[in-house]
Amino acid sequence: MKTRPAVVFTALSALLAVSVVLGICVGAVPIRLQDVLRLLVRSVGLQSAPAPDATAAVIISQLRLPRVVAALLVGSALAVCGVVMQGLFRNPMASPEILGVSAGGSLGAVVAITSGAAAASQLLLPLFTIAGAFVSTALIYSLSSSRGTTSLFFIIIAGMAISALCGGVTSGLLLFARQYEVSQYVFWTMGGLDGRTWQHVLYSAPVLIPGIIILSLFSRELNLFSFGEEGAHSLGVPVEGVKRLLLAVSAVVTGVAISVSGPVGFIGLMVPHFLRMLVGPDHRRLMPAAALGGGMFLVACDLVGRAVAPPFEIRVGIITAIIGSPYLLSLVLRTQRRSPGAR
Amino acid sequence: MDASRDAPGSFSVQAAGLSWLVGEKRIIHSVDVSVGPGELVGVIGPNGAGKTTLLRLIAGGLRPTTGRVLLSGRPLEGMSARERARRLAFMSQDSSQAMTFTVMEVLLMGRYPHLGRFESESAADRERARAALGVVGMAGFQDRIMGGLSGGERQLVLFARILVQDTGILVLDEPTSSLDIGHQDRIFSLAQDIARSGRSVIASVHNLSVAAEYCTRLVLLENGTVAASGNPGDVLRPELLDRVYSVRTLVSSSSATGSLTVTVVPGRPVARSARVHLIGGAGSAVNLTRALYRQGFRLSGGIAHEYDSDEKLWRSLGVPMESVGAFSRIAPDDVARASRLVEEADATILCSFPVGAGNAGNLRLAGRARRLFIVDSGPGDAEREFFSAEAAEVFQALCARATRMGQQEIIAMLERL
Repeated sequence: MKTRPAVVFTALSALLAVSVVLGICVGAVPIRLQDVLRLLVRSVGLQSAPAPDATAAVIISQLRLPRVVAALLVGSALAVCGVVMQGLFRNPMASPEILGVSAGGSLGAVVAITSGAAAASQLLLPLFTIAGAFVSTALIYSLSSSRGTTSLFFIIIAGMAISALCGGVTSGLLLFARQYEVSQYVFWTMGGLDGRTWQHVLYSAPVLIPGIIILSLFSRELNLFSFGEEGAHSLGVPVEGVKRLLLAVSAVVTGVAISVSGPVGFIGLMVPHFLRMLVGPDHRRLMPAAALGGGMFLVACDLVGRAVAPPFEIRVGIITAIIGSPYLLSLVLRTQRRSPGAR
Repeated sequence: MDASRDAPGSFSVQAAGLSWLVGEKRIIHSVDVSVGPGELVGVIGPNGAGKTTLLRLIAGGLRPTTGRVLLSGRPLEGMSARERARRLAFMSQDSSQAMTFTVMEVLLMGRYPHLGRFESESAADRERARAALGVVGMAGFQDRIMGGLSGGERQLVLFARILVQDTGILVLDEPTSSLDIGHQDRIFSLAQDIARSGRSVIASVHNLSVAAEYCTRLVLLENGTVAASGNPGDVLRPELLDRVYSVRTLVSSSSATGSLTVTVVPGRPVARSARVHLIGGAGSAVNLTRALYRQGFRLSGGIAHEYDSDEKLWRSLGVPMESVGAFSRIAPDDVARASRLVEEADATILCSFPVGAGNAGNLRLAGRARRLFIVDSGPGDAEREFFSAEAAEVFQALCARATRMGQQEIIAMLERL
């Protein structure tokens, strides 16, 4: 099942636009499309345009828009990193979590919460998360590298070990934590975008956007990696350098992304699969598709979480899992039925 | 012209003193290999001799512990991956083959080292890919998915990709391991053509007859060192192959193509003590020789005519024999010389061949046998004809004291000796 790429990209872009608009309009306080458009026209400099409703303008610019932009960035980043991991490890089960980012990030988060840092400043929780993610990734990376080469196999093993270690320490810390701290942590692990401000966007975007661009520039190399490291090497890919760069950039991007949203599962693993079925295995199409599709998917899931039972919100991590899994399963089953033996 | 490409005619590989160690274990030990322009060098040797490792060292996939590799005169060490891939294409045995890509996508990957980061494949690149597909006999397969092809077809696609990569040096690690003999022939013919166009090709080859037919030179590896190298005729010597491969081999010249063929002689069971002498001619003793050799009998043969197929077989198996020049008459002196072999033999077998003036002496030789068997000609054997009355008489006399029976019965009788 491979649809024409032009069709897929047009559809993805349209869906993205629709989810962004809906993401701004839908919520506890409904916003009229008219106000969104007015604000947009004014913000591009046409001050003579009619003014939007003042409350709506504040809700849009201070609450909804930063939230939608954060969702867009995080979704794109996680999906692109998922594509990179699956391409590099040549394994459909690979996801950014292999690098220990989630486990390390969670440890960082629990430290921030139990130490009281999270309560002191809104940005300390993300910063601790990033620190935890980086430390665990660096540890896994150095354990798997010897004599100038990094073994992808050992990354998986070391990743499992370090993740287990981080998980143990996290549980240990929670054991001594106060009840509300435990709740706060559990809440964080579900992933969510509520209360995300321009501050979150401002510190993450300068990392996520260049990161996504850098990773996308290595699409052709990732194609060659599907012939194994030796195959890529023989076609002229500087394997070690590319591998290290992709691993490091993915770890940084994922770490920063989950510091914004918490560990939103599913996107890095499933969105790449879904899009690969639509656009084929060529990373030159898959990468931009993942950037669009991942962003769209997270914005849409956040939207659903807000729309189901207002004024309550369902955490976005829950929605991604509940919407995404059955849909992906049905796709896999359909593809299998159509072409037996296809991978 | 690409600055990092070498001029045609200057393509070469020179590897000197290559060693590769894993821990203390030497996988490759001080190996020198060179491939000049226009050469197709075959690397042969038993499993585990280091063929693949040697090719990886040459292709830059492994860094030698000692020694160095020059590609068209420039050191491989320090060459960027892209620069190397513009000079040298490597086809590995690795079977991980991008199953979800289309054939065209896979072929175009061969252009990677020639393209800048923001450059995409041109119409000329696509044309080149289509042409390469036609060359390997897979025209029209460009939109097929790799996973839907057979193992042999995928190997052909990978060979086509080597052509798309368009390098002066080709390193092929058993390029035909999953191909039928037709495609095997096609790939090696192509490799030969590529070499003849002035490029340098080095390939590991399992099939020694294929190696002999297509390679200009062979390098025989044994436990990571070069046991022999040179022309196929110099390397494919039974005494050398027997030692390196630990089997008995038979090297002969194919009657159809004239190239060397190497066959393995099935292992001999416990040697038997019985000595059997074979009197043949015109190839009449070939089947019986092979059968008795496999059974472990000690054999002798003669009197043979040089270049007769019996003589060639006995020579290659190292069977003691007496022979005379091609088409010359067997003189009484020759019979006297050969008598020793016949008299010492526990049994002598007179095969079924036409008897004329030249070989009538063999009938008299048969008369010296301690125990004589005469083979009844079976289907496909030469008719036992006599071109002189005298020869027919001698044969009648022999029949009176010999056992006449078919080949299989004789073998069965001998086994009871």
